[in-house]
Amino acid sequence: MLRYCATRLIAGIPTLLLVSIFIYSLIHLTPGDPAVLLAGDNATPSQVNEIRARLNLDLPLWQQFSIWFSDALRLDLGASIYSGKPVTWLIAQRVEPTLVLSLTTLVLTVLISIPLGAVAAWKANSIVDRLCMAFAVIGFSVPVFVIAYMLVYLFAVEWRIFPVQGYKPLSNGLLTTLHSVTLPAISLALVFSALIARVTRASVLDALGENYIRTARAKGLSAPRILFLHALKSVGVPVVTVVGIGFATLIGGVVVTESVFNIPGIGRLTVDAITQRDYPVIQGVILFFSASLILINLLVDLSYALIDPRVKG
Amino acid sequence: MLRHTVRALAAALLLSVATQASSEEVLRLRLNGDVNTLDPIATTNFTIRNAAYLMYDTLFALDENYTVQPQMAEGASVSDDGLTYTITLRDGLKFHDGSDVTAQDAVASIKRWGSVDGLGRILFGKMETIEATDDNTLVLTLNEPWGLVLDALGKISSNVPVIMPAEMAAKPASEPIEVPMGSGPYRLLPDEWVPGSIVVLEKFEDYVPRDEPASMAAGGKVAHFDRVELQYIPDTATAINALIAGEIDWIEEVPADMLMFFDGVETAKTIAARQSGNSMQLVVNHLNPPFDNPKVRQALQWAIEQTPFLQAAYGDATDRYLECAAVFFCDTPYASDINTDGVLQRDPDKAKALLEEAGYDGTPVLLMHVTDISTHDIYYSVLKPMLEEAGFNVEVQPADWATVATRRASKEPVADGGWNLFFTGWGFVDQSNPMTNVYVSGDCGDAWFGWACSEELQKLRQEFANAPTDEERRKLAARMQEVTHDLVSYVPVGQAFPSIGIASDLKGYIDGPVPFFWNVHRVN
Repeated sequence: MLRYCATRLIAGIPTLLLVSIFIYSLIHLTPGDPAVLLAGDNATPSQVNEIRARLNLDLPLWQQFSIWFSDALRLDLGASIYSGKPVTWLIAQRVEPTLVLSLTTLVLTVLISIPLGAVAAWKANSIVDRLCMAFAVIGFSVPVFVIAYMLVYLFAVEWRIFPVQGYKPLSNGLLTTLHSVTLPAISLALVFSALIARVTRASVLDALGENYIRTARAKGLSAPRILFLHALKSVGVPVVTVVGIGFATLIGGVVVTESVFNIPGIGRLTVDAITQRDYPVIQGVILFFSASLILINLLVDLSYALIDPRVKG
Repeated sequence: MLRHTVRALAAALLLSVATQASSEEVLRLRLNGDVNTLDPIATTNFTIRNAAYLMYDTLFALDENYTVQPQMAEGASVSDDGLTYTITLRDGLKFHDGSDVTAQDAVASIKRWGSVDGLGRILFGKMETIEATDDNTLVLTLNEPWGLVLDALGKISSNVPVIMPAEMAAKPASEPIEVPMGSGPYRLLPDEWVPGSIVVLEKFEDYVPRDEPASMAAGGKVAHFDRVELQYIPDTATAINALIAGEIDWIEEVPADMLMFFDGVETAKTIAARQSGNSMQLVVNHLNPPFDNPKVRQALQWAIEQTPFLQAAYGDATDRYLECAAVFFCDTPYASDINTDGVLQRDPDKAKALLEEAGYDGTPVLLMHVTDISTHDIYYSVLKPMLEEAGFNVEVQPADWATVATRRASKEPVADGGWNLFFTGWGFVDQSNPMTNVYVSGDCGDAWFGWACSEELQKLRQEFANAPTDEERRKLAARMQEVTHDLVSYVPVGQAFPSIGIASDLKGYIDGPVPFFWNVHRVN
């Protein structure tokens, strides 16, 4: 098992390298010069050139990359062009809000979507199924910011139950933190539940046609027992795969939600870095995303062995 | 059972949140941008300037009559020949680490500022020496008399000549200071600063305000809050909701189409910030065809009028904008209506005739359309049909501001990455002063983007700097406006007054070209 994990992690290194080279070329080919933005409106060309030289932006691209890469091998991802703060520090500051939001969303999503999908499959083609799937379609088609603004209007501005915006770190206590991420987590969970509910429905529907379910029915087991104990157990693999992909997406791609609720997470760090052409930060967060994706994929693969005895070994 | 659990949970949640509140007085502000550095010399960015005023202090400052007053300085004396300025520091000035502010710190800070700032460079061009003669006195010697020395040192907008410790000021201006320190009324808490999210400052107990009442950037800067948080909330609708819900106290700018959010709201209101007006300009590149031809530039002036732009951007909020063709802004000491007909009136036929006279061959005019700043985006949409109706062939290239800000520096032909036109905005204080207004320098290749060239403008600016009386300055400013509009250095497209969003219980807010937060207090 350990050997398997080590092989998988080592195999991830070439992926990270390729991603780095690709992103490095892409962001440097994008027009827009951070030295100009940093210097401001009144700067003279010589001041801009001075800044460019200080940031090594006047060197050929391959040379800039090799400097960055040799530093990265020593786990030094450089510093932000604007704030001068180390990129690793900036990412570390943003990991907690993003992880808390993603995990809360994930828990809500699983709580909503799996029972919904299972019930829809059990009552396939009935009005219950139609209602469940109508919810799924709505959840998936309404843009997340529309749901977000509606939740804010009702729960934050009108009823004042939750805050409009902002994130309270875990150092303030778990409940305070959860209170601050409830609305963003609900808006994201509605979207992800729609996807996972559909996958669950399809998989459970397949399982319900299997012989062992027929046997279970013949034995006279109750409907919930058959559904949640026997049928759901066998659909673990596809559902966990989709949940895993969803989690990876949440870590990297909740920019809109983070902006609407002013959560200082990784997604916003990325967008801000791109608009300001803060090259070291862009490069650092992309590397972070790639590494998280590789790790989550590994965890998903490992979980197959737990869920499905046939995968063992 | 379930109901009990939910109730218990909700109660626990509310209790835990309630206990977070403390008796500490906190002021929460939302500026227009992110405070990613606190070095106002390394950048001219207005968000950084605004944040910097909380933690730094200046030797001199402008009062509400736009007159320079001593701030950290006790006073200044000028020798009879007008060549030597002796400035003494007032007692009790301390940096945030508790060390004394000395004249050596002031000299180093002014040198760093003078290496980058436009007015600072002019001052240093006229300066022979600047030195500290003792811990409290600095002496500035000029090689020719110049009436604007104290105006330069009391400059209110970017770059503001803030005072920092000498060892920090020793850093070149191209390198932002990572952990900055000042001597102003609020002290930065570096450990709580997360770029892209929040800056936290606390009241600096050792700050000694001046005795005079606060008057814009001058007078006694009294800090009434224990803590000031500058929150970066990127989404404006969220910021407004947060203000209404009492989570923040102040928003730098509420867009015109969101003013209705405040209808019937008691907790917050908007105020028109008359002093922090700004204007939009269409910048013309004088180096590239077709605008290297003065007749084509005049055609451009006749092709445009301001009202459609302002209506598109501000809608029904007519008190938030003003048609204005004065180069130094309307309602300012140097405002004038001389030579403004072509700017304010639109005549597509006249534009067409001028284009024909100039032999315009239909060369496409390249418009760098900024898409990520909403006001700019609106202005471009209005401009294109206006130009086409007047006979221009227009090519639009959409891009984000970062791209346009870089491309505008190119003096190359359009085919090699150059450009013809783009919109930009400048604030009231920067534009109202002929010494800092970028469109009246006439400095050709050394001028601001667009590189308008006029020997007469260069001469007029020189004369303005040396003019002994206000009346003479006014005359020179009027002539500058006449030449600038003849040259079509740029085309002004109106003046606007941003709406500030503010909590109803905040009092003492100073209407100035820069938002100042000393003097502001909460009324319970």
